[in-house]
Amino acid sequence: MVRKSDRNGVQPITTLTREGVFRGMHRLLPVCIFVIPFGIAFGIAATESGLSPFQVTMMSVFAYTATAQFAALEFLQDPIAFFSLGLVALALSGRHIIMGAALSKWINQLPVGRRILTLAFLSDANFADSQRALHRGETDLGPLLGGGLMLWVFWVGSTAAGAYGGDLLGNTEAYGFGVVMLCFFAATVFGMVRSSVSMAIPVASAMATSALTYSLLPTGWNIILGAVVGGMTAVFSHDG
Amino acid sequence: MMDDWSYALVVLILAAAAFATRIAGAVLMSFVTLTPKTERFLEGLSVSVIAALVASNLVTADFRTMTATLLAVAVMALSQSVIWAMFAGMTAAAAFPFVFTP
Repeated sequence: MVRKSDRNGVQPITTLTREGVFRGMHRLLPVCIFVIPFGIAFGIAATESGLSPFQVTMMSVFAYTATAQFAALEFLQDPIAFFSLGLVALALSGRHIIMGAALSKWINQLPVGRRILTLAFLSDANFADSQRALHRGETDLGPLLGGGLMLWVFWVGSTAAGAYGGDLLGNTEAYGFGVVMLCFFAATVFGMVRSSVSMAIPVASAMATSALTYSLLPTGWNIILGAVVGGMTAVFSHDG
Repeated sequence: MMDDWSYALVVLILAAAAFATRIAGAVLMSFVTLTPKTERFLEGLSVSVIAALVASNLVTADFRTMTATLLAVAVMALSQSVIWAMFAGMTAAAAFPFVFTP
């Protein structure tokens, strides 16, 4: 039986270094390039639904969530259903709660200001990258922040490009960019299972839950439920 | 065309939801004592949330996307490089219409 004090003694102290931030920016650069077509697509779609290019760009600056931003476009007609919009935004971003909890062991060792700064730029891709590194013994949260900053800059830039010059850019869907993010996430999951084989059953149950409840639950909740089932499976498959 | 106040409120709602969900997990966990069990749970969560995201996307994916994703995983298995996996997936998706012409 491990007591709490023992664990705290073992647990390495995490840092947030500038060098780590640059490392994260560099590491996420290939992923960021594939954010561009999505940003352009959002910029075009948002101007088509009545926002000015400036409004579109500012939305990406302040409310960087990609999926929730796309969903918000559906609400931009009179009268705007603000309450429903809030619920949809929470559901689509809800997986970030889980990601934050999963990283809490490392994040919560930082001073509060740095915690908030790092978490403000938490998104799927830098989470996937960093959580893998942290489980391998990384103690610097710089790459998480750096990767997040890089994703945000690319998202804002490509959104602006789509909003201001969408007509000139044409159809970017034909080139196969759309699948790249999915390939990145699928490959990351595979890599994580490979380095920690005990995660195979939790991953399988998470995927099955998420897929089977896709049509039963509102969008976003199936992912959260899948993740929770995967987490519980990890606890029980270890005990059993 | 929407007025400026409605626009500001939409952005505020999105920004608040995004920020709240991003910090909520770490804030909640600061009230929880880490035991081996909770650590196990969190470790499972962290892999599972990405896996669930993938599965959710695959449910509605067409044959082209499925093929690209499977190829990416295969390349990951061989090369252990996420970058090569992404590149392979993208190439497969781009080449797909030429290989499978109706």
